[in-house]
Amino acid sequence: MLRLNQMKVHTKYIAGLIVVIFFVLCPLFLNSERSYFIYFLYTTFIYITIAQGWNLIAGYTGQVSLGQHAFFGLGAYITAITWRAGLTGYFDPLAFLLSGTGALLLAAIVGVVLLSKLRDDYFSLGTLGIGEILRVAALNGGSFTEGAAGISLNSTAYKSMNHYYYTALFIMLFTLVVIVLLIRSRVGLALIAIREDETAASANGIPVLRYKILAFSIGAFVTGLCGSLNAYYIFHVHPPGVLSLNWVVIPVLMCILGGAGTFMGPILGAFVLSIAFELTSIWMPEIHPIFSGAFIVLVTLFMPSGIMYYITNHKSMIMRRLRLTVFKWMNQKA
Amino acid sequence: MSYFPSLAVFFQIIINGTFLGTMYGVAAIGLSLIFGCMQVLFIAQGTMMILAAYSVFWLVYFMSIDPLISILIIIPVFLVLGWIMYKGMFQRVSQAGPSSTLLLAFGLMVFMESMMLFIWSPNIRSVKTSYSTSAFQIGDITISVSRLIVTVVAGIATCLVYLFLKKTMTGKAIRGVSEDRVTGMLLGINPNRVSAITFAIGIAMAGVAGVATCLIYPFDPYFGFLFSLKALIAIAFGGLGSVGGALLGGIILGILESLSSYTISPGWADAIAYAAFILVLIFRPQGLLGKAADKV
Amino acid sequence: MENHLLELRSVDVSYGDAQAVGNFSFYIDKGKIITLVGANGAGKSTILNAISKIIPTSSGEIFFSGMSTAGLKPEDIVKLGICQVPEGRHLFTKLTVLENLELGAYPVHTRPFMKDSIEKAFTLFPILKERINQSSGTLSGGEQQMLAIARALMARPKLLMLDEPSLGLAPKVVSLLFKTIKKLNNDGVTILLVEQNVHQAMEIADYAYVLQTGTCKMDGHCHDLLKNSDFKNTILGIRE
Ligand SMILES: Nc1ncnc2c1ncn2[C@@H]1O[C@H](COP(=O)(O)OP(=O)(O)OP(=O)(O)O)[C@@H](O)[C@H]1O
Ligand SMILES: [Mg+2]
Repeated sequence: MLRLNQMKVHTKYIAGLIVVIFFVLCPLFLNSERSYFIYFLYTTFIYITIAQGWNLIAGYTGQVSLGQHAFFGLGAYITAITWRAGLTGYFDPLAFLLSGTGALLLAAIVGVVLLSKLRDDYFSLGTLGIGEILRVAALNGGSFTEGAAGISLNSTAYKSMNHYYYTALFIMLFTLVVIVLLIRSRVGLALIAIREDETAASANGIPVLRYKILAFSIGAFVTGLCGSLNAYYIFHVHPPGVLSLNWVVIPVLMCILGGAGTFMGPILGAFVLSIAFELTSIWMPEIHPIFSGAFIVLVTLFMPSGIMYYITNHKSMIMRRLRLTVFKWMNQKA
Repeated sequence: MSYFPSLAVFFQIIINGTFLGTMYGVAAIGLSLIFGCMQVLFIAQGTMMILAAYSVFWLVYFMSIDPLISILIIIPVFLVLGWIMYKGMFQRVSQAGPSSTLLLAFGLMVFMESMMLFIWSPNIRSVKTSYSTSAFQIGDITISVSRLIVTVVAGIATCLVYLFLKKTMTGKAIRGVSEDRVTGMLLGINPNRVSAITFAIGIAMAGVAGVATCLIYPFDPYFGFLFSLKALIAIAFGGLGSVGGALLGGIILGILESLSSYTISPGWADAIAYAAFILVLIFRPQGLLGKAADKV
Repeated sequence: MENHLLELRSVDVSYGDAQAVGNFSFYIDKGKIITLVGANGAGKSTILNAISKIIPTSSGEIFFSGMSTAGLKPEDIVKLGICQVPEGRHLFTKLTVLENLELGAYPVHTRPFMKDSIEKAFTLFPILKERINQSSGTLSGGEQQMLAIARALMARPKLLMLDEPSLGLAPKVVSLLFKTIKKLNNDGVTILLVEQNVHQAMEIADYAYVLQTGTCKMDGHCHDLLKNSDFKNTILGIRE
């Protein structure tokens, strides 16, 4: 029995490794500058990262943040402002670090204030407010943020799509590894304990506030990294772009579609939703946003706990059917 | 930019703020009722308002129905719409917990917003009536007729809801179920029926607020989300679960906004409102008025 | 088959995987007071809630006046004439005393008698009349319990289920409460009483069921049980 489990874990790792190798090799077979597939993977990696960041605070810890776009936008603005000021350069690791850290600090400050006082819905509202405040601040930041027009960056610096692709892949893998390590550790158990019953968790000596802030900040850090990469990608940082609510809505959707509070959920959800969005925007560009809205409604109506939940709940059934079919097939042959 | 407005200007600001705030307040009443009864944070409230505004736009445009008369059409239609929304969607999702209902409301918001974009385009629309531009003076203060009408309508709607909650069995059941669902069931109250009624009223209030808004302000489909946020802020100011509190919270917000856009700058008015919102959430989660507004 | 007012036949109730009540059967005849006693967590409230359809049963059947209640909703149960006063009162604390009472008569067929029922409630508990417009959250514990009972009576129940009505009340108030329960019973209301105050409950009750970890440990007429050494031992904690 033990062996079987170990084997299962091994197959999981091997399958994961194969997928990663596939992603790494993709640009070798495809023309990254032209390939739609590469662009698709690039955006999906970013969404997976943000979705996992949200998953950590909302899915595992149970605190539904609606302010991820604030972290994304802050990351983008930090990158743009430091680059414009000549403090950092194009694809500067320092810029990434600063952007991530900036988002992390914002989350920590916001977290100390909001998480210590507010619970549940109030926390969601508070974080929503943070995003809006940042948006208004960016709009009114004068020459510092260049208002509604936003900061235009030197797009001649562009070299190759591969840079973006591999950076996104790296950020995503980094996030996934961090999440796995966290969730497998005592921290992960503590987070889940907080989600299940906060009072009980704190009665058992778990420093609830500290763990919540930790989860919130890590999520913000990786989201800030994505914002930074996005600034380099579009060479133009302005409020409707980087502080758009889409940067919280879409990842949250992906996470819930796949199954919040599971590791595979956001990944699965990101791929399913990205594909769905891409297909509709190709075939029905006019009604693409209508479809997104309807999609959210349908998913919450019919699969409120997500795909992963559905799969795990029906696993034995699916497996039994499969085995039965194989069995019948073999009997027929014999 | 003057930091110390003269008395007349000050009164003008307060009055304009009150007009603006009444609309926030009416939307907030609906939101607060819905949240109080079923813990659903219905962030599509503002979008419903804008839907009402566009409906009025069409009623005026195609049938030349006066906006004030169109209220009589909008209210029943929105009541039914609210009922259907609850019965068809929120009732089944409500068991899955608050984040699911929040997401559902969000999905509805995105859906309706993009539907409206598709049908009415992102261009800013406005509704013109014979009294759109008329105004009268009291001393140095100008009062626009349409704003006054709108405020009166909002006041009437608020009073009706208040009386409904206070005087009818269903109203009392709504208040009871908001406090304790299971006990309601033990008394023979069907909580789903009560919730459906509450939802219907909440949506109808969005309809009233939408009609009121379109008489005064130009609007586009994206306006809705902003209004939802404003309604939420109004609730935070007024305290959850009270009709009077929600209206008062809306008015406080309206005055805060018009004061800060006069003394600081219109661009920052929103940010100041959000900051005040967060401060209130943190320091007075029961609302600025606290216990006093805890009644209905 | 003789028609009991209420009958449970091998009822099972579970919370998730944990079984709270297993294979529980009992009945109440019209006009009687039945008491259900047992330690904390024995499953008493669970049984009342199963009867009220607040929680579903996983197997077994519940009959009221010979009719199965399967598939009914909580509000239907109230309409049939079964009212529960839940453990811990559960008043609508933001509503006034009067409003609480009025909501007790929510089922449509009881509304015509509302005025009458309120008068009755006030004669039964005169103190409530003095507090009529006070919000019920500000009542004392005893007054709250009275209001909770009065509210349940507003629906003119045939069967009144009381879940630990004496919880947190002073001994004097408790005796008064039990007297009132007896009076109600004399007026024709059948009573299912869940109590920790075993002695006093047994004094007014006709028949008792003893519950232990979700199953019926023993049952009998109250005067018989009070003599039973096993009963005294486990429930009353008296060793001989
Ligand atoms: N909502 C619930 N979810 C899970 N378990 C529950 C729930 N309610 C009760 N239980 C469990 O069911 C069992 C029976 O509980 P119940 O409330 O019926 O006991 P009781 O006899 O009324 O106890 P008490 O005298 O303390 O009121 C207990 O073990 C309890 O932990
Ligand atoms: Mg109990």
